[in-house]
Amino acid sequence: MRNGLKEWVDGHITITVRGKRFERLLNMAVRDGIRIWNIRRVGAEVSRCDILIRDYFRLRPLLKETGCRSHVENRDGLPFWLLRVRRRAGLAIGAVLFFIGLYMLSSFVWSVEVTGTKHIDPARVIRAADEIGIKQGAWKVKLKEPLLLQKELLSLLPEAAWVGIDIQGTKVRLQVVEKEAPVKPLATGPRHLVAKKRAVIHKILPEVGKSQVTNNQLVEKGQVLISGIIGNDTRQQAVSARGKVQGEVWYVSNTSVPLKQTIYRLTGEKQEQQYLLVGSYAIQVWPFNKELFSEAQTSEKRYVPSYAGYTSPVGWKTVEYAQIEPVTKQLSTEEATEVAKKFARADILQKAGKDAFIQDEKVLHVTAENGKVYVSIHFSVIEEIAVEQPIVPQSPVNNGNP
Amino acid sequence: MKRWSRRLRQLAGGVLDLPQDVVLEVPRITMIGHLQMYIENHRGVLHFSEHELRLLLTNGQMIVSGEQLVIRAILPEEVLLEGRIGGVKFLETGPQGS
Repeated sequence: MRNGLKEWVDGHITITVRGKRFERLLNMAVRDGIRIWNIRRVGAEVSRCDILIRDYFRLRPLLKETGCRSHVENRDGLPFWLLRVRRRAGLAIGAVLFFIGLYMLSSFVWSVEVTGTKHIDPARVIRAADEIGIKQGAWKVKLKEPLLLQKELLSLLPEAAWVGIDIQGTKVRLQVVEKEAPVKPLATGPRHLVAKKRAVIHKILPEVGKSQVTNNQLVEKGQVLISGIIGNDTRQQAVSARGKVQGEVWYVSNTSVPLKQTIYRLTGEKQEQQYLLVGSYAIQVWPFNKELFSEAQTSEKRYVPSYAGYTSPVGWKTVEYAQIEPVTKQLSTEEATEVAKKFARADILQKAGKDAFIQDEKVLHVTAENGKVYVSIHFSVIEEIAVEQPIVPQSPVNNGNP
Repeated sequence: MKRWSRRLRQLAGGVLDLPQDVVLEVPRITMIGHLQMYIENHRGVLHFSEHELRLLLTNGQMIVSGEQLVIRAILPEEVLLEGRIGGVKFLETGPQGS
């Protein structure tokens, strides 16, 4: 029956009609097809109603006929709104220009971002993108289909396995997935493998080069184990020697262990302390009166809710103090010797490097003095003794003598 | 002549099962609670005030009484009335003789 939008677009006014024969006016107006709505009586001979602007001019002869007078109370709708806008033309033009400007500026590419590159220089990706039209200040309308662009960009970047182009507003995100290149072995120059320390050869496995020593041979430090010079006297060639040489190395370890040992033991007494975490601060909550143990082991638990990479700024922390007490223990000489052996073994294996193992160990002597046990142990350790030594080209054979 | 046509209409209404308002030229009134009232088939407004709306019908008058009455919309044969409607009364002038 009524169309609010049409009324608004056409513009409507609220009028008050003063006159005795308002009902007659109403009937006549309705019969003439004048749209009148929101009719209400406000006084004895005064009524108020809404009417379209163009119907108002058709209503005037009827008003004259019925002897009523009208007075415009309120104006509403698009025509009046435009009138108001015309009065403030500057503001309206500014608003329109703003939206046009916003639209135009948002149809350009303002930044190009490269992600996912490891070996390829991002600047190269940006240069390649520039060639196919993706650059700062490019008009997005002129760009081709993303799939086509991806294909072109991929052909410009042979190292990439896949290139994704994601246009997000004014930002172009280029996601590069690089091809996994096979790991190339490091190129090494011609070299010998020489002994790192004085040892007895336990096992020698040359891969490249000529082995110069045999098993159970004593080698001095710096002696060539696997030579990088191959061939006979007339035809020789320097290669990068490669291989494994294990040698038996002797170590003597002197260790001292105190006979009186203090160890800490849990008493079973525990105390918990609650904290409220806010940001990077921890607020002590419960209990307020701390009776901390003189010696305690603390363990901390944190509850901070997090979801999808977002961490809540508020969390909870519980610190548990477990009381410990020192207990003194008197070791016998045998026990102390065992402890010393254990320490010595760990120390030796750390010194010998990886892949080393202890072949033999022998306690040389044990002395108990001043509450301490001094243990001297002899270890025979099998370890990797080969170390590279480059061959100087001028004097390939007599290495070390220029 | 007029009586004959009335008889004929009533007969047609009965036989063909037509709604009475179509046949008899009486108003059809739709009310939503006591808040809104939609009247079709009226013949004009006789009187309108905050407390009363008097409509002319084909044969008679109809009086709607209430509080804060507002005519939300009006067309030649339809009226949409809003307000707190208290009562509806019909004044029949009998079969039109003239």
